[in-house]
Amino acid sequence: MKPDSMDAVFQALAHRHRRKILDLIKSMPGCSVNDLLKYFNISRIAVMKHLRVLEEADIIISQKIGRTRELHFNVVPIQLIYDRWTTEYSQFWASHVTDIKFKAEAKAKHDRDH
Amino acid sequence: MTATTKLVHRVRINAPIQQVWDALTKEGEVLPFFFNSVLHTTTLAPGAPMRMRTPDGKFTGVVGEVLEITPPFRYVTTFKFTNFDDPVCKVTHELKEVDGVVEYTLTSEDVAVGTKTEKQMQQGGAFITKTLKGLVENGKPPFSSRLILCMISLFSWTTPKICRSENWPLDKPIR
Repeated sequence: MKPDSMDAVFQALAHRHRRKILDLIKSMPGCSVNDLLKYFNISRIAVMKHLRVLEEADIIISQKIGRTRELHFNVVPIQLIYDRWTTEYSQFWASHVTDIKFKAEAKAKHDRDH
Repeated sequence: MTATTKLVHRVRINAPIQQVWDALTKEGEVLPFFFNSVLHTTTLAPGAPMRMRTPDGKFTGVVGEVLEITPPFRYVTTFKFTNFDDPVCKVTHELKEVDGVVEYTLTSEDVAVGTKTEKQMQQGGAFITKTLKGLVENGKPPFSSRLILCMISLFSWTTPKICRSENWPLDKPIR
């Protein structure tokens, strides 16, 4: 992965609206820009601008099908970054640590709420 | 009717398009980006069978039929994992020259939602794209892919009987 393409991925991920767009497209593969707009209070132009940044980083792939445009999430650029700093061994232990974090936080939330 | 989905994986490969195409469609040789499988076919043309078999030929992991082949740009096949009883889907490999590099897009369509095939396609798509990139650019698969390939060969004895190649001859129609 070239350094500039890695920069593009980090830049694309460094905004909460763009991360929300990614979550939405990941959960609705092939959705349209109009589908995304329902989840935002910002203008269509602003959403399109965010989409362009995500597309330039190749994290979003936009495919024209007939008269509509389908949006798809492409995991590969993030996978390449992950592979750079993770080995199979560190992945095993890191996922244990994150499991503990999520379980502890879920319990703390439960205790707070009840 | 079963709900279906489409999965898209894309990577940019810094190599001539013909080199990427040759690596992608090589017959009779072990393909590390395709989980160390070997492509078996009659002749790579529309209507021809596609079988991805283990190097010793004993097992067949994926079967399908060539739908379209336009060197060095498009290679489309039907696609089915032999160990899952899921509907056949469609896989498109597309190569495009963009800004001096090759954009390789792997699209899996008509994938039945919630099936093992969907899960496998999600994980497999990322593996295929990044391994092909590493293989073409550096002559060998990336380290993380090599570990997975090693695990596959270690666990080959667990392959189910349904995957035995005698169950998937080249002339068997795939539906």
